[in-house]
Amino acid sequence: MNFSEIRPQIYNYLGFRGVTESPDTDEVIASCLIELEKTAQFNSLYRAFEKIPDFLCKPPYESFLRGTAGVILSVTTLGAGVDRLINRLYRTDMSRAVVLDACASAYLEAKSDEFERTLGDSLTYRFCPGYGGSSVEDLKYIFELLRPEKIGVTLGESFFMLPAKTMAGVIGIGKTVKKSCEGCFMLPHCKYREEGKRCYGSEKTL
Amino acid sequence: MLRLGKNVIVFDGGFGSELERLGLSGIPEDLNITAPEAVQSIHRSYSCADIITTNTFGLNRIKYHGAYELKDVAVQAIKNARAAGKTVFFDVGPTGAMLEPIGPLYFEEAYEAFAEIADITAGLVDGYIAETFSDLYELKACVLALKEHSDKPIFATATFDSTCRTLTGSTPEIVANTLEGLGVDALGVNCSLGPKELLPIVGRLVNSTNVPIIVQPNRGLPVLEGGRTVYKLGIEEFDEYAEKMLGLGVSVIGGCCGTTPEFIKRISRFSGAEVRRRRVEPKTLINSANILVEIDGVKICGERLNPTGKKALKEALISENYDYLVDEALKQQEAGADLLDINVGLPQLDEKSVMPAVVKKVQEYCDLPLQIDSSDAAAIEAGVRRVNGIPLINSVNGDEEVMSKVFPIAKKYGAVVLGLAMDKNGVPRTAEGRFEIAKRIISRAADFGIPRHKIMIDTLVVTASAEQALVKETLEALRLVRGLGVKTALGVSNVSFGLPNRPLLNRTFLAMAMTCGLNMPILNPLDGEMTGAVKAFGVLSGADENSENYIEAYKDYTPSAPSAAVSTSQKSEKSAASLYDCIRSGLKSRAEELCEKELSEKDPLTVVNDILIKALTEVGELYESGKLFLPQLVSAAEAAKAAFAAVGRHLPKDAEPKGKVILATVKGDVHDIGKNIVKVVLESYGYRVIDLGKDVPAERVVKACKEHDPIVVGLSALMTTTVKSMEETIAALRSAGCTAKIFVGGAVLNAETASRIGADCYTRDALEMAKTLDKMFPQQ
Repeated sequence: MNFSEIRPQIYNYLGFRGVTESPDTDEVIASCLIELEKTAQFNSLYRAFEKIPDFLCKPPYESFLRGTAGVILSVTTLGAGVDRLINRLYRTDMSRAVVLDACASAYLEAKSDEFERTLGDSLTYRFCPGYGGSSVEDLKYIFELLRPEKIGVTLGESFFMLPAKTMAGVIGIGKTVKKSCEGCFMLPHCKYREEGKRCYGSEKTL
Repeated sequence: MLRLGKNVIVFDGGFGSELERLGLSGIPEDLNITAPEAVQSIHRSYSCADIITTNTFGLNRIKYHGAYELKDVAVQAIKNARAAGKTVFFDVGPTGAMLEPIGPLYFEEAYEAFAEIADITAGLVDGYIAETFSDLYELKACVLALKEHSDKPIFATATFDSTCRTLTGSTPEIVANTLEGLGVDALGVNCSLGPKELLPIVGRLVNSTNVPIIVQPNRGLPVLEGGRTVYKLGIEEFDEYAEKMLGLGVSVIGGCCGTTPEFIKRISRFSGAEVRRRRVEPKTLINSANILVEIDGVKICGERLNPTGKKALKEALISENYDYLVDEALKQQEAGADLLDINVGLPQLDEKSVMPAVVKKVQEYCDLPLQIDSSDAAAIEAGVRRVNGIPLINSVNGDEEVMSKVFPIAKKYGAVVLGLAMDKNGVPRTAEGRFEIAKRIISRAADFGIPRHKIMIDTLVVTASAEQALVKETLEALRLVRGLGVKTALGVSNVSFGLPNRPLLNRTFLAMAMTCGLNMPILNPLDGEMTGAVKAFGVLSGADENSENYIEAYKDYTPSAPSAAVSTSQKSEKSAASLYDCIRSGLKSRAEELCEKELSEKDPLTVVNDILIKALTEVGELYESGKLFLPQLVSAAEAAKAAFAAVGRHLPKDAEPKGKVILATVKGDVHDIGKNIVKVVLESYGYRVIDLGKDVPAERVVKACKEHDPIVVGLSALMTTTVKSMEETIAALRSAGCTAKIFVGGAVLNAETASRIGADCYTRDALEMAKTLDKMFPQQ
C-alpha cells in the first residue's frame, strides 16, 4: 500500500483540516502504519445479485442504484487484533492510540477500495447503510445475506459492527458514481463545511 | 463401522448454495419446519457422505430470530437430517455476537446459549460439529458447553484467513493446542478459503497435534461473473487437493461454501481408507489467544501479580482497582516476561470471584499466557475456565488431597500443572526425597489422564540464610527431575531472604539453576539483572543461536548505562528543560519527574497555578486556533495528568482539588475513543474521572452516581441508534434524583439533540467540555 496516498485522509481524521505539515505527527503516523500492517488482518466477503434485494428497493438506495445491472454487497474488516491494539494503546500511550485509530480507519478505506478494484471497473462507490438518510438498521439485511460471521464480523443490537474497523457496502454494478456528501445526515453540522472543506473523496456539490 | 483417526471419514458439503438452487430463501433454520421435504432432499443428496450435518448453523438463542421455538427447529432439523440414513452431527455455529473484551457478549452468555442447544439435542444426535468459529474464546465456551451438557463426540473447526490466522489472531498451532486441551475428538479448519489456500494451514495443524484433523474447504475463492458471484473450482481439482490433505494425515474431509453433492460424491471414494499415520512429539505448551509459549530452554514467568509482600498491589486488589494490575501486567510483558503468574490470595478476598475478574481484566490488555496461582481449587477452576487459551496451574504438591482436587480441573481444561516437590510432611531435605515426590505427582497425574508433558516440577528454593546446606539439594533435584522428562520451575528470589545484596545472590543462583536444567524461573522481569542473566545463559548454553537475542538486547550497551532498557521515546524526553515545556510538548515521564522537582521547592498550588494551568491554557489556545492538533493535545493532557499525579502525592490524602466526573459510553454503543479523549483531557485539568467504560446500562450509571456523588455525568454515543439509549439513561438519572449536570457528546449529537433528550449541556469536544466545567464550577 502506498502510505503517502492515505496520509491526507489520516490528517483529516485527526482534525488537521487543510494542514498536512507536521513532521512529528508524520513520524508517529509512519510507525503506526507499520504496526498496522503487522496487526491488521484485512478480510473481505462479498456477494453479487442480479436482482436487487428487496431492502434496497427504497430511498435512498433506489436512486443510487438506478440504471445499474445488479448490486454487490460487501463487508470488509481489519480484524479484531486492531481493536485489541487500540485498546492497549489507550492504556500505554493515549496519543498514539488516537493516531493509530485514525490510521486504521484510513487504512481500512484504502484496503476496501483496493479490494473493490479487483471486482471490476464499472462500479459505483461503496454506499454504506447510514449514508444519505438511510438507516444503519439495514445492515441486518446485509448480514442475513452475507453471513459475515464467517469472517469474524458481528452486528450488535444497536447495529454496530465489530471488530470496530469494519465496513459494509452497497455497490452498484455497471455504473460509475463518485461519492458525494450531499445526503449526509451530519450536513447541517459538518465541521468540514464550516471551514469550506469536504471529507473523504466527496465532491463539492454545493 | 468407521473408526475416527483410523479410517477416513467423509462429511457432507455446502447447504446454503443447495437451498438457493432449490429457490428457497429466508431464514435457513426456519426452512427445517416450513420446507422439510426440500431440506430432507438436500440431506439425501449428501447420503454419499459418512456424516450428515443438520441445517442449524445459526440456531442458538443469540443469533436465531426466526418464527419458531429453538427446540422445535432443532428437533425437526435432526429429523430432516436423519432422512439421509447416515450418522447425524448437529451443526453448531457461532453466536454472531462479539465476545468480551472487544464485544458486549459475556463468556457465560455464549456458554449458556450453547448449553441450551446441547440440552435440547444431546439425546437425539450422534455428535456435534462446532464450526466456522473465528474467536478462540467463543469456541472454548462452545466446546465446554457441549462437553458439560452431552457425552457425544465433538468436532470443532475454526476459520482462518490467508495469513493463517483466525480473525481474532490465533494461529493454527494455538487453535490446535487449545482444542486438544479441551478434549475435542477432532479439530481443524472449515470455510475460510479454497482447498489450495487451506493447504498451508492444514500442514501446520497436522504438525501441531495428534488429535484427528478435520478439513472442510470452500469450493475455491468466489469470482464475480456478470452480476453474480460464482465458485469455479472443478470437482477434479477439489478431489486432488482432498487427496493431498489426506496425504498429510487428515482424518475427516468434507466441503463448505459452494461445494455440492457432486463434490462430496467424488471425495467419498476416500471413505474408509486408512488414515496416514503421523506422530507429533508432545511439548509443554501454554497459550493465550495470540501467543503460544513452549516451556523449553528458559522461559520467564513474571511474578509481580502476587500480593505477597506487595502493599500497593494488595490495596489495588482490595479496592478492585484492576487498572493497576493491568499496568503491572503490561510492564512485565514489555520487560520480556513469557508468561504471567496471577495470584489474588488475600484473606479479605473471595478468591473464587476475584480470580476470574482479574483474569478477564488482564487478558483484555495483555497478550501473554497466564499461570493461575492459588491453593484454592475452586479459585483455580474459576480462573482457568475464564482463560482464553491454555494456562499453567500453580500448583499441586505430593499430597493426595490436593492432587485429587486439582488434577481433574487440569484435565478438563487442558492446563499444564506445576507440581511442588513437597507434601503434607513439608519439603524433603534431600534431592532424592523431592525426586520421589515428583515421581509420585507424575504417576498420579497419569491416573487422571494427564500426560507427562503437561506436568512441570518445582524443586523448591530454600532460604540460604536459614538452610544453607540445602541450596544444593534444590539444584540436584532439578537435575534428577529433568531426567523424568518433565520441565522445571523455581521461585528464584526466595534464596536470598535475610542476606545483604540480594540481587547478587539471586542472579548467581539463577545462573546455577539454569545450568542444572531450570526451565521456568518465576521472577521479577523488571529486574534487568535477572532477565539479563537469562539472556546471557542463552548465549552460553548455545540456545540463543548466533547470540541474536543477546545482541539485539545489548547492541547499544555502554558500561555506564542503566541495565534496564531505555526506550527511544524516554531518551528523547531528557532534552526538555522545564515542566512548562514538557507539558507543552507532551513528554509524560519527564513532566512527572520535573514536577516532583518543582514540588520540592514550591507549594503544590503554586505549581498548579503558575505552571500546569498556564501550560494547559496555552495548549488549549493553540488547539483552538488550529496550530496544534488532536494527537498533541492528547499528549499534552497525558503529560499534565502525570504532573497532577505528582501534585496529588503532595496534597493531603482527602483533598479533592476539583470535583468528580462520571463518564460512560451508553448501553448499546461500544465506541469509546471520544470518551477516552475526554477522560484524559478532564484529568489533565485536575478533575477526578470515574470511567464506567462502554456499553454501560442506565442502572450502572445511576448506581455510580449515587455512590460517587459527581458534579457532572458525561455520556457519549456515536451512533444514531444509541441516542435513544442516551435519552433513557438521562431519564433514569433524573428519576433517580441525580443532581449532577448531565453533559453529552459524540459524533451524532448537537446542541438541539442534546436539549431534546434532556441533557444539560452539549460540548463538541473534550477541550470545550473541560473549559465549560471550569466556568461552571469555578475553583474556590
